Amino acid sequence: MIALLRTELIKAVRRTRTLVILAALIGLPIVISLAVNARSDRRPDRGEGLFRLASQSGLVVPAAILMMTSAFLLVIIAGTVVGDAVAGDAATGNLRYLLLRPVSRTKLLIAKAAVSTLLVWVATAVVALTGLVAGVVLFGWHGISVPFSVSDTGAGVGFDLTAGQLLARLAFGTAYVAFGFTALVAIGTFFSTLTDGASGAIAATVGVYIVSEILDAITDLGSLRYGLPTHYRTAWVDSITANSFSGDLKAGVIVQVVYALVFFSAAIVWFRRKDIRS
Amino acid sequence: MTTEAIAEVSHLTKAFGTVAAVEDLSFAVRPGEVCGLLGPNGAGKTTTLRMLVGLIAPSSGTATLFGTTVHAGCPELLRVGAMVEQAAFVPHLSGMTNLRLWWEAGGGRLHDADLDGALAIAGLGDAVHRKVRTYSQGMKQRLGFARLLLARPELLILDEPTNGLDPAEIKEIRNLVHRLADHGAAVLLSSHHLAEVEQTCSEVVVMSRGRLVASGTVDELRSSGATVRIEVDDRTAAAGVLRSLPAVGKVEIDGPELVVQLRDGRRSDLVAALVMAGVRVESVTATRDLEDVFLGLVDQSEQLRTSQAGQSGQSSRETR
Ligand SMILES: Nc1ncnc2c1ncn2[C@@H]1O[C@H](COP(=O)(O)OP(=O)(O)O)[C@@H](O)[C@H]1O
Ligand SMILES: [Mg+2]
Repeated sequence: MIALLRTELIKAVRRTRTLVILAALIGLPIVISLAVNARSDRRPDRGEGLFRLASQSGLVVPAAILMMTSAFLLVIIAGTVVGDAVAGDAATGNLRYLLLRPVSRTKLLIAKAAVSTLLVWVATAVVALTGLVAGVVLFGWHGISVPFSVSDTGAGVGFDLTAGQLLARLAFGTAYVAFGFTALVAIGTFFSTLTDGASGAIAATVGVYIVSEILDAITDLGSLRYGLPTHYRTAWVDSITANSFSGDLKAGVIVQVVYALVFFSAAIVWFRRKDIRS
Repeated sequence: MTTEAIAEVSHLTKAFGTVAAVEDLSFAVRPGEVCGLLGPNGAGKTTTLRMLVGLIAPSSGTATLFGTTVHAGCPELLRVGAMVEQAAFVPHLSGMTNLRLWWEAGGGRLHDADLDGALAIAGLGDAVHRKVRTYSQGMKQRLGFARLLLARPELLILDEPTNGLDPAEIKEIRNLVHRLADHGAAVLLSSHHLAEVEQTCSEVVVMSRGRLVASGTVDELRSSGATVRIEVDDRTAAAGVLRSLPAVGKVEIDGPELVVQLRDGRRSDLVAALVMAGVRVESVTATRDLEDVFLGLVDQSEQLRTSQAGQSGQSSRETR
């Protein structure tokens, strides 16, 4: 199992694609930070939530960047890595040779999903760290003072957060965002076992996320939306903008775990009995 | 034969939807044999080999390796070196890294593998450190051989190993198969190319449309159903002798020669019988080579199938 994890990790990382992804993960936060900087120079108190607070302290910048990238860049990257995991091997024909080793298909799938998960976590951490460095350079290392908070649960009193508190909230937010891709990894792994073409699996995985976001925007769907994998995506933001940890956080974790169990089980059942014709 | 089979399929059947890719196929490969699995494209060779290594589950029937029923990822695969269709690798890694990762994924250390032997056979030189993406198909195929030899396998399963190669590479691969067989490995080699099987194999299993058409040694197959032209001094006496032999079908006189349809048995048996009867034999020529036999067999099985399909529901005709 350890051997499989190691070999799958090397296969996933040692390629030009990794460098391109890394460049995007470092480049985009810098661009966003510069944009926030440009905007805050002109209109110091416009914008909302994290972006408004970002000009107060560089420690809020990575949070703002995480919120943005978790809806787009990180989704694409996670979809690419996970969609490619099995289908990419099938497309090159390497999968059948891998399965000629006496390895269990379940273990192989676990190794591939674990490697995908690890890479998504690393990607999230890179975004947060780059944002932190860029933010502190541009806006400094301060606490924040929020005179009057507005959250999903309504208006509240003002509060202060020290730099240390902010850093802790940021670490928490990063972990929550990273964990928030668990459902996507499971869904993508399942799709990746279904097809022998990586691009199809990648597109389907990213597509699920986009559709989920669109459905989540349709308020008429009511409580159905609470079951969408992206519904609680930004539940962590309140810990910084409203100094509150809402029950949505727990719900978000539960939704992720349920999706992961369902789709990963489906992937294993399917992959174990799949005829390898690629 | 009494030796236990190294690989065996028994009543093996695989249906893809309504298409039966393999149907009720049985044959065995025994130690020391180089067995050819011969059939035209679409005959079900690849499907059979995939079932034999656990990539595809049979619809019914069994595939066994070393006496154990095959399942996905079974430990017997360690004793098998297989190449199913063309050799394939992770394109963005070097040949060497591919070999190492492939080996280590199974839980071993590379220094337990026969790396030097495998690399010597692949003969890629420094190219083994280049990305596989830059390889020609021939190079990939050779690296494929290196990979399957890492484990010092007792059985080689090769699926049309010379497909897509140029003549020089084909010759190289054939020599390689011979060398490996000389070292005692059993070989199961599929091909749609009769000459390849004829030159490489000792045994042959012919299949067409998923079914077994014939099996035996290459010599047996070659002599079965062949037409032999025999030049003799006394044609009438010779025809009489030959007609009395059970192995002989029709005998016709054609100019100075006799045209003899051979059902089974060898040409040498005919000559022996003629000589015993005091007939002088000037020359013996087989006018059909294995290619004709092969095509004839495949043809027959197709005709049989279509006529069976046409007659379904009219069983009274079958008595004829
Ligand atoms: N992926 C597939 N999907 C549907 N049918 C297939 C597939 N692979 C093979 N077949 C069917 O099985 C038959 C046998 O194919 P195959 O085993 O590849 O033959 P061979 O290797 O002898 O050329 C084909 O004629 C085809 O109809
Ligand atoms: Mg084939």
